Amino acid sequence: MREAEQTGHSEIVDQSRNFWNARPSTPRILATDFFARVDEVSALVIDIGTSSVRAGYAGDDTPKAVIPTTYGLLKTAPDADSAMPDATDPTQATTGASSKIYMGQFGPSVWRAGMEVSNPLNDGLIHDFEPITALMRHAVVDVMRCNPSDHPILVTEPAWNTPANRERMAEIMFEEFQVPAFYIANTGVLNAFAAGKGSALVIDVGQTMASVTPIVDGFVLRKGLVYSPLPKLVHAHARHILTNPNQQRRGIDLFPHQLVANKQQVEVGAPPRFTLREDRLKGTTDSWRNWYEAREVEEWIQSVAGVLEQGWNDQVAASRPPRQYEFPTGYNCWFAQERYSVGEQFFWHSPQLMASNPSLPKTIPALITESLRACDPELRQVLVGNVVLTGGGSLFAGFGDRLSAELARSFPHVKIHSPGNPVERRYGGWLGGSVLASLGTFHQLWISKEEWTEHGKAIVGQRCK
Amino acid sequence: MANSSEVRAILDLPSSSTPAPAPKKLSVPTARKPDGISRELFSLIGPSSTTLVAQLAKPRLKQKPNLGAGSKIKWQWRAFKNEYPFAKYNVQRPTFTYSEDEYTLHLEDSEWTKEETDYLMKIVAEYDTRWYVIYDRYEFAGGVARTMEDLKDRYCSVCRKLVRNRPWAGDENSKNALLSSYQFDKEREVLRKRYVASLENRTPEQIAEEEALYMEIKRLEQNERKFKRERDDLLRTIAGIDSGLPDIVEDELPASSMSSDPKRSKKRNGADLDSPSTPLMSTPLSRAARPSLPPKNSAYDLQHCITRTEPPAAATSATKAAHQPAYLRSFKLPFPKAAQAQKVTQALAELGVSHTRLVMPTQGNVALLDQLLEATTALVDTKKAVDKIEFDIQVLKNRLGMQGAAAGTAAEEGDGGTEGMEVDDGNDADGDADGEGDGDGEDGRAQSVLKTHFNVRTGPAVNVHLLRGFCGHGIDTGGDKAAKANLIQGVCCVKFMAYRVHR
Repeated sequence: MREAEQTGHSEIVDQSRNFWNARPSTPRILATDFFARVDEVSALVIDIGTSSVRAGYAGDDTPKAVIPTTYGLLKTAPDADSAMPDATDPTQATTGASSKIYMGQFGPSVWRAGMEVSNPLNDGLIHDFEPITALMRHAVVDVMRCNPSDHPILVTEPAWNTPANRERMAEIMFEEFQVPAFYIANTGVLNAFAAGKGSALVIDVGQTMASVTPIVDGFVLRKGLVYSPLPKLVHAHARHILTNPNQQRRGIDLFPHQLVANKQQVEVGAPPRFTLREDRLKGTTDSWRNWYEAREVEEWIQSVAGVLEQGWNDQVAASRPPRQYEFPTGYNCWFAQERYSVGEQFFWHSPQLMASNPSLPKTIPALITESLRACDPELRQVLVGNVVLTGGGSLFAGFGDRLSAELARSFPHVKIHSPGNPVERRYGGWLGGSVLASLGTFHQLWISKEEWTEHGKAIVGQRCK
Repeated sequence: MANSSEVRAILDLPSSSTPAPAPKKLSVPTARKPDGISRELFSLIGPSSTTLVAQLAKPRLKQKPNLGAGSKIKWQWRAFKNEYPFAKYNVQRPTFTYSEDEYTLHLEDSEWTKEETDYLMKIVAEYDTRWYVIYDRYEFAGGVARTMEDLKDRYCSVCRKLVRNRPWAGDENSKNALLSSYQFDKEREVLRKRYVASLENRTPEQIAEEEALYMEIKRLEQNERKFKRERDDLLRTIAGIDSGLPDIVEDELPASSMSSDPKRSKKRNGADLDSPSTPLMSTPLSRAARPSLPPKNSAYDLQHCITRTEPPAAATSATKAAHQPAYLRSFKLPFPKAAQAQKVTQALAELGVSHTRLVMPTQGNVALLDQLLEATTALVDTKKAVDKIEFDIQVLKNRLGMQGAAAGTAAEEGDGGTEGMEVDDGNDADGDADGEGDGDGEDGRAQSVLKTHFNVRTGPAVNVHLLRGFCGHGIDTGGDKAAKANLIQGVCCVKFMAYRVHR
C-alpha cells in the first residue's frame, strides 16, 4: 500500500517536471503567438450551392452554418398585419411590404398555409440576389452570431459564373454587409485546394449541375470547363421510376409526411392505408409540394439507388440484393434491378434516348472527354493523374468505383482523389475556401473596402482571376 | 491533487499502518509558495528544488483570440515582410517593356500588330508565364486565333531581340544564358505536340499490337540469349574447351619463335599458340590466393598462367564505364572495319579462311588473326589504289591515243614514257599470260583481291612488306623479278597462318 503511494507520488512529480520542462522558453510561445496573430484575420467563408449555403470561419474544417438554399416565401395580404409573426424570429425576414421569407432549419421544410418555395439559384448560378442577401445574413448573423462588418469574407462562385454576378456579389458584400475585405474564388479551384492540389481535374457533382473543371496552377482553364444539368436528369429518372406504374406495382404516391394524418402498417407491396390532412391540402402550394416530393425522391435515391461498378449488365444487376424502402404513406416495397438503372443515367444514355432528346445533358464520361479534348495534349496526363471527385451528388452509391472503372478504360494512369469523409465531399468548395483564406500569403489578395470605393466593380475582375 | 492521506480521509478509509508525516512537514514551507506554481506541485517539489529558481516567472499562456470584440477593426493596406520560408523561391521573371522606336526598329512582324504584342506581353506578365493559363485566357479583340506555340514563339522572339539589341550591363555569359532561356523552336514544339497527340490517339488495337510486338521482341531476345548459351555450351563440349573460367586464359609454354612483335610478346608473356588452355588450372585455390598477392607478380602470373591485360587508357577514372568486366576472349574477336568488311571477308574466303570463327581463341591466335585482318585490309586498300591508278592510266592512254591519232605521230612514243605505261603493259601481259582475260581493269575491279598481286608489277614491295608482317619472319624482298614467287609464298604464308589460327 505504502509502496503504491510512493510510486504514485513520484510519478506525479515526474509528470509535473515534464510539464514544466516542456515549455521552458517564453520566446517560443511568443513567436507562435506572433505568427498566429499575423495570419489570423478571422475571415469568414461563404459557399453558396443549390442545395445549401455553407458559412464558417476560415481555418476550420467544417462550416459552422449549413442552411438550405431553398427558402419559403409567404405573401401576406396587406391588411393581415395582425397575423405577422414575431419580428425577432431569426428565421424570418421581410422582403418588401407584403411578403415574408422563411429560411434555415425551420424554413421551407415547415408546412405553412400558402407558403411558396423557391430557390435563388438556377443551374448553379444566382439569378435572384434578394433572397441570397437574406440567406447570407441569416447564416452569418443569426446562426454564427457574427457581425459581417468585422470580418473579411470569402465567397465562392461556380466556374461558369458571369462577371456581372460576381460584381453584384461584391456590391452586396461591401454596400450591404459593410465587410472590410472581400474575395470571390472559384469552387473548382477551391476543391482542388481542399484536395491539396494546384493542378487537378475537378469533377463536381452537385444537386443540379455536374461539372468538369481543369485546374492548372490554381487557375481554371476556361476552354476546358464543361458542365451539364445531369443530376436533374438522374432525379427525373428516379421520380419517373417511382411515380409510374409497372408490372410489379402501381405508381407510388409521394405525399410528404406533413400531409399525412395517419397511416397503417401494410404488407410489402400492398396498397398503402393512410389518410391525408385535408385541412392542409388546400393551403399547400404546388411549389412547396413539388419541392418536398423532390426531397422524398432524393431520400429514396440516397438510401436505395446505386450504380454498377462495371457498366450495365442485366445479370449483375439481378444478382444484387434488393432493398426495401418505405414511403411516408406507409407503402413499402423491394427495389431490385431498377435501383441500379438510376445511377446508370450518370454514365450512359441509350442511343434511342439521345436521338429523341437532342438537348439531353451530357454524361460524366462525355463531359470528361470533352474537357480533356479542349486541353493541351501534354496536360491530359497530368490532369487524369489528379482527378478530384467532389460534390454531394458524388456520394451516390457506387459513383466513385464506376468513375474509376470508366476512366481506367480510356486512360492508363488514372488517380482519383475522393475523400471518404462525406463532409469533405459535400463541402469541398467551402473547405478549400477555408484553407485559402487562412493562408498568410493569401491576405494580399483581399479586395479591401478602400479599393472597392476607389476602383469600383472593375477591381473584382482584376483581383479575382 | 490530493495527498493519499487526504484521499483516505475523504473516502473514510482507515489510515495506513504508519501515519503519513508529510502534510505536517510540508505545511511550513507552503506559506512561502511563489506565484505561478500550484500549491500541490510546490508541496511535492519542495522549496529546496533548484529547478524552481528558473521557473518563478508566471507562465505565459497563448492569448485567446479576440474575434471582432471590443474596438472596431481598421483594415488598411500596409507593406509587410513576407516571413514565409519559401518566399525566396517565388522568383519573378524579368518583364520586358519596349518603346515605340524599339518596336519599329526590331520587333516588327507581319503576323503581329503592336497592340497585340503589347497585350501578349501584358498577359504573360500577369499570369507569370504560365503558358497553359495564358493560352486559355488569351482573348485579343479582332485578333486571329493563336496557338500556344504562336504565343510562346512571339514572346520569346521579342524578348530575345530586346536582350540582343540593348546594351548589356553584365558579362557575355549571363547574356547568353538569358538568351538561351528565351530560345524557342516552334516547329519542333509543334511536332512534339503532334507526337504526344498521336501517342494518345492510338486505338486500343494499336496499343494491343504495340504491346504484342514488345512482348514478341522480348521473347526473341530471350530465345537468342538461350540459343547463344546453348551454342556456347555445344562449342565447349565439342572443342573440349571450358572457357567459363576467366582466370585461366593462357598456357605456360615458353615463347615460340613466332613472337617477333615486341608489343605482342610483352603482352603475351611468351605463351604458345598451339597449346590449349588447361581447364584443370581453374582452381578455386588460385583464385582464393590471388587477392593476398601483389597485383603484378610476374613469377606468380607465369606460374599460374595469368595474363594481365593493360587496362584501357581511359580507365583512370573510377567510373562504371571505365571498369572492364571479365569476358571471354572469343566474344571479342577482331573484326574487319565495317567499310571494308565485305571485301576483306571475300579475300579471306578466297584463301579458305573464315575469320568469324576461331576454334581456339588464345591470346596469340587472336593477335595473329588481328594481324591477318590488318594485312588483308591493307591488301584491299592497295588493290583499290591500284585499280584507281589503272583506271587513270587507261584514261590517259585513251587521251594520248586520241592525241596521237590527231597528231599522226607514232604510237611507240608512249612505251618509253611513264612508269604508268609500263605498269599497264605489264598488266596486260600478265593478264594475258594468266589467261584470265583483261576484265580486271574496269569491270572486274572488285572480283578478286589476290589476283591483283599477280597483275601489279609495282606492288610487290608493298605486299612483301605486308607479308612480312603476316609471318613475322623475313621474306625475300627481291623486287620485281621475285615478285611472283614472293607473292605466292606470301599467300601460302597467309594460308598457313590461317590454318594455324584455325587450329
